[in-house]
Amino acid sequence: MFALRDKITLISGASRGLGRALAIEFARQGASVIINSRRTSAAGLAETEQRVRALNAPVLSVLADVSQRADVERLAGEALARFGRVDVLVNNASALGPTPMPYLVDTPIEEFEVVLRTNVTAPFMLTRALVGQMLARGAGSIINVSSDAGAVGYPTWGAYGVSKAALDHLTRVWAAELEGTGVRVNSVDPGDMDTAMKRASEPDGNASRWTKPETVTPVFVYLASDESARVSGQRFLAQQFLAAQRD
Amino acid sequence: MLELTLSENRAGQSASALVQFVLPPELEAREPAELRGLRRDAVRLMVLPHASGEPIHTRFDALGEFLRAGDLLVVNDSRTLPALLRARDENGEPIEVRLAHRRAEDLWDALLLNGRTHIGRVGMRLDFGNDLHARILARRPDLPFLWRMKFDVCCSSLLDLIYRLGEPVRYTYVPDALPLDLYQTVYANSPGSVEMPSAGRPLTWELLLKLKRNGVGLASISLHTGLSSTRDDAVDARHPNYDEEFHVPATTAQAVNETRARGGRVLAVGTTVVRALETAARADDTLAETRGWTQLRIHQNYRLRLVDGLLTGLHEPQASHLDLLSAFVEPTRLQAAYQACIARGYLWHEFGDMNLIV
Repeated sequence: MFALRDKITLISGASRGLGRALAIEFARQGASVIINSRRTSAAGLAETEQRVRALNAPVLSVLADVSQRADVERLAGEALARFGRVDVLVNNASALGPTPMPYLVDTPIEEFEVVLRTNVTAPFMLTRALVGQMLARGAGSIINVSSDAGAVGYPTWGAYGVSKAALDHLTRVWAAELEGTGVRVNSVDPGDMDTAMKRASEPDGNASRWTKPETVTPVFVYLASDESARVSGQRFLAQQFLAAQRD
Repeated sequence: MLELTLSENRAGQSASALVQFVLPPELEAREPAELRGLRRDAVRLMVLPHASGEPIHTRFDALGEFLRAGDLLVVNDSRTLPALLRARDENGEPIEVRLAHRRAEDLWDALLLNGRTHIGRVGMRLDFGNDLHARILARRPDLPFLWRMKFDVCCSSLLDLIYRLGEPVRYTYVPDALPLDLYQTVYANSPGSVEMPSAGRPLTWELLLKLKRNGVGLASISLHTGLSSTRDDAVDARHPNYDEEFHVPATTAQAVNETRARGGRVLAVGTTVVRALETAARADDTLAETRGWTQLRIHQNYRLRLVDGLLTGLHEPQASHLDLLSAFVEPTRLQAAYQACIARGYLWHEFGDMNLIV
């Protein structure tokens, strides 16, 4: 318990699903949380905020579209103004693209660019805006939310899969550049979760076989905590982490 | 007797009056190095030895050649706010509001402009759109071009609106509004500066981490910068003495004390760092954690207590920064060095080339 005592954490895309589950679990573990979503998800973000508040955790909600550079700078500035630092960044906000998901050949160019911008450029921009103050302190953790679709070329998961593969590589390069600085960068494939995004991607899927996002939070708590201080450049599978914990 | 009088006169004269040059407009940097096709750390660097010797002209990413293991670089980690806001008064007249100093969560001192004309009156109500309003409470008695204004929202909500409505403060030589992130140093932390603490802008993490591997320390202070110009040349020429809020953290105080005890050099990245450290310096020339406002004026005859060297940009003629520089180097040598920079086509201002005085 309280593995994240005094940690200042920022979770993008926290209006629902995994982002919300992480905000609540981080708060439960003693962290302060900055949560974010786009304006169109304001109601969901308010619900997350309320649930974090109920745990007596300090919380700041910022409506921002992290795919826009001005919004990224505003989100970083408001977080730092409120808490004086950010120790942990979870790049969780993600776009699936059009659903039902088309073949790459049938994907509109604009939609492809939106997915890449949200899933790759946004984590790049947000990390860039926050990593400097981590490097100045010589400590910090950046966690990128990846997907199985980034490792396997599933048909129709094109734009999303390409973006997650790029995000995994962003993780590797960034970790290599920051080796020895105390700032670490890792990615997590949470596996099949019962979320609104998953249901949109597989409307005919068997939701009863998908795990609840609440169950995959331990690997994120581990990566956000000092326990993983020397772990960087790794790609974690949430289910494997859980299984290893049970052993 | 005559000599004494002369030297008194000379001492009383500001360095900005002693350093005379005309800045050709083509040497004003209009945009960041990255938009000129350079890396941010590939701007030019003039290294000016303290006491004597010719300036060395090199590139900024060669900075490490002039630092030694055991030196400490102290940066200002204040983040830049988009402090230029547009409002309308009760009659619908457009007013440009340049935020200058945050006095409390909902209180700011600001410059009010109609074009380049200073305006404002007590009781004036400003409408910024997006349901943001402010009322002018008073005029600063010591800086009569600044007005104290109270916003009708506070705290995170006010900051959010400043970000949404504002743009970075800029002057005539920067033709276009640029994204706010271009006005940040790579180590920027909490926002509060109304103009970029620009001396650190060319620093990259690649360069900083290399310096660190070579034994150069890195520490930070926060000083929230005010406006560098009132846009009225006559007012600017009188060098109004702004007060700026700063914080020297305990870790930085300790790093400075240890560096000096070991015989290392404390190198300030920017004049803001010189002001913060020298204001916080104690009578025994040591440093402790300090939070406050500084109005310290540093000039030719000021005895620097803690700072051994300065990394800074190139300053305009008449800028009060030149007075501060003269605490590090004789105005006549500064004048010659600046002439050499002009001859070599160095670029001036916040996006320009750099000067290291060690």
